[in-house]
Amino acid sequence: MSTDVRYGGVPALGARALVLAVGAVQVAAFLVADALGRPTLYVAFAVASAACLGALADRGPFGIVAACLSGALLVALVYPLVTLVTVASPESVLAALARPDVRRTLYLSVYAPLLATLLACVLGVPLALLLRRGFPGRPLVESLVDLPLVVPHSVAGLAVLLAFGEGGAFPTLPVLGAVPGLVLALAFVSAPYAVDGAREGFETVDRDAERAARSLGASRFETFRRVTAPLAVRGVLSGAILSWARAVSEYGAVAVVAYNVSVFYPPAGERVQAMFGSVFVVRELDVNFDAAVAVAVCLLAVCVVVFLAVRALTRDAGRWA
Amino acid sequence: MLRFDVRAAFRDDATTFEVAADLTVRDGETLCLLGPSGSGKTLLLELLAGFHDHDGSIELDGRSLDDAPPEERDLSLVFQNYALFSHLSVRENVAFGATYHEDARDPDALLARLGVADLATRSPETLSGGEKQRVALARALCVRPDAFLLDEPLSALDAPTRERLRDDLVDVLADETAVYVTHDRTTARAVADRVAVLRGGRVAQVGPTEAVFERPATRFVAAFTGATVVESTDLPAGLDAPTGTLAVRPEHVRVGVDTGVPARVTRAVREDAAHRVTLAVGDAELVAYAPTDPPTETTVAVPPGRWHVLPRGGRDADA
Repeated sequence: MSTDVRYGGVPALGARALVLAVGAVQVAAFLVADALGRPTLYVAFAVASAACLGALADRGPFGIVAACLSGALLVALVYPLVTLVTVASPESVLAALARPDVRRTLYLSVYAPLLATLLACVLGVPLALLLRRGFPGRPLVESLVDLPLVVPHSVAGLAVLLAFGEGGAFPTLPVLGAVPGLVLALAFVSAPYAVDGAREGFETVDRDAERAARSLGASRFETFRRVTAPLAVRGVLSGAILSWARAVSEYGAVAVVAYNVSVFYPPAGERVQAMFGSVFVVRELDVNFDAAVAVAVCLLAVCVVVFLAVRALTRDAGRWA
Repeated sequence: MLRFDVRAAFRDDATTFEVAADLTVRDGETLCLLGPSGSGKTLLLELLAGFHDHDGSIELDGRSLDDAPPEERDLSLVFQNYALFSHLSVRENVAFGATYHEDARDPDALLARLGVADLATRSPETLSGGEKQRVALARALCVRPDAFLLDEPLSALDAPTRERLRDDLVDVLADETAVYVTHDRTTARAVADRVAVLRGGRVAQVGPTEAVFERPATRFVAAFTGATVVESTDLPAGLDAPTGTLAVRPEHVRVGVDTGVPARVTRAVREDAAHRVTLAVGDAELVAYAPTDPPTETTVAVPPGRWHVLPRGGRDADA
């Protein structure tokens, strides 16, 4: 959907053209400031250009102030990530990627969050369905599910260690410095995102559509399979992505439970010691700054690629049934 | 034939709402459940469809539905908000139930019958309200249900679309057994063979449509079906009204006739083809439809036999 926006005396541009133009100007300004070695110039330029766009949109003083503040926030969000990418030279990234411990770290940083997300979804999607249907005590259960969001993550790690570690609920399960422990810790901090995303997905499903399906002859299960699930899949998937991304970025809980992890590494065909990405980055900062930056860039790239891929897949997720 | 004699209680934190109804819908008949918001008509419909627990019995063509889940009741639902499956195309929507019914009708033929054949491959989200409801009707028809349950199917539509679809709906439901929920007396009068007026979860009156509209059993039914209620003692003697509490429909009140008694117009509102006129007659107020905007001082008459004496003890809230 493209809407024409008229900016004051500026000729009307299509919305897409406007976005592209603003983006191109920002990239050019960033490159110039970077070449001059004066990053402050770019930050000032970005906020000032936001103010100009606000003024041209002709929404009064509040429009200008809101545009300024929004511009500042966007700069604060995007500028550090762009800087990270520009600081890392391609050579240092390639050099880092050649290191076996870096590759193991990247493997572990994708694999363990995947398992955690799978666990969170297998247990969390049915819960989301129950929460949507409603039951006595639902508010309490909702609070319990969201509890990990407010618990400091190192505390969460300690709690997982005490609950499921040696002498805990699962005596035979390796937790400290092991993949199961790492997955449990990651699932603990990321499950709320999976549950909340799935619940939002289910809540968008029209109850009358489900009733219509039942009256047309579909059993409870068939209605779920043919109506509820296809309509909710977008919410479930976006919850899963958020949950996965949250798990990838986890540091505190991992540092407590699984600083060094013993993991089966397929390329080597054997068990190896590996470190989770965020832990590796923090440790490597003291040892080899370039390697830390390179690993950080790789992690960022993996996250962005997965994020964009799943976003593209969910765009017409409704047709997946 | 759909027979039900059901009772159910619906509770939320503070209140309990009870629904109780004993009604019969004959084969090929459309029964309207007519009532204001909160009268329990939608709950009753959902209960018939199998979405609520209840006491009593529901029988469809001699078969008890009491323990049947919704999918085994052979009742097709049509909703106010269409409730189409937004992830499926129009044709897939209509054919949804065919998976579960060997004798299902051809979806394309149904779409053609309802005048929306050209929309078959579209997504429901791109349709207008009237088109959506036609698709929803086709979907309900596809499975050859034993009866239809319709919940305000026209209420979300604009007036021209509503009138066109209502006329088509009358044709579609002509030979079908249907329960039709509405709060709109005009729709009820147009589509119903019989009407049950609901109030507070109970049936206030049930009968053939014209009987209910012409001879309401209570003040509430009279008012809700559009009749004017007056006390005979408030009317001038010249009107020859019977004694008691009277109901008279606006369409029977004649304005500006030579034989009438004097009346004063207190309000005249233009409605489509006529003027809806409020008249002060004696100490009473009558409503009439006049073809032209009448002068302030006019006359009014009601033909003999058009007055309906409300039954004594025709109190409201009695069933």
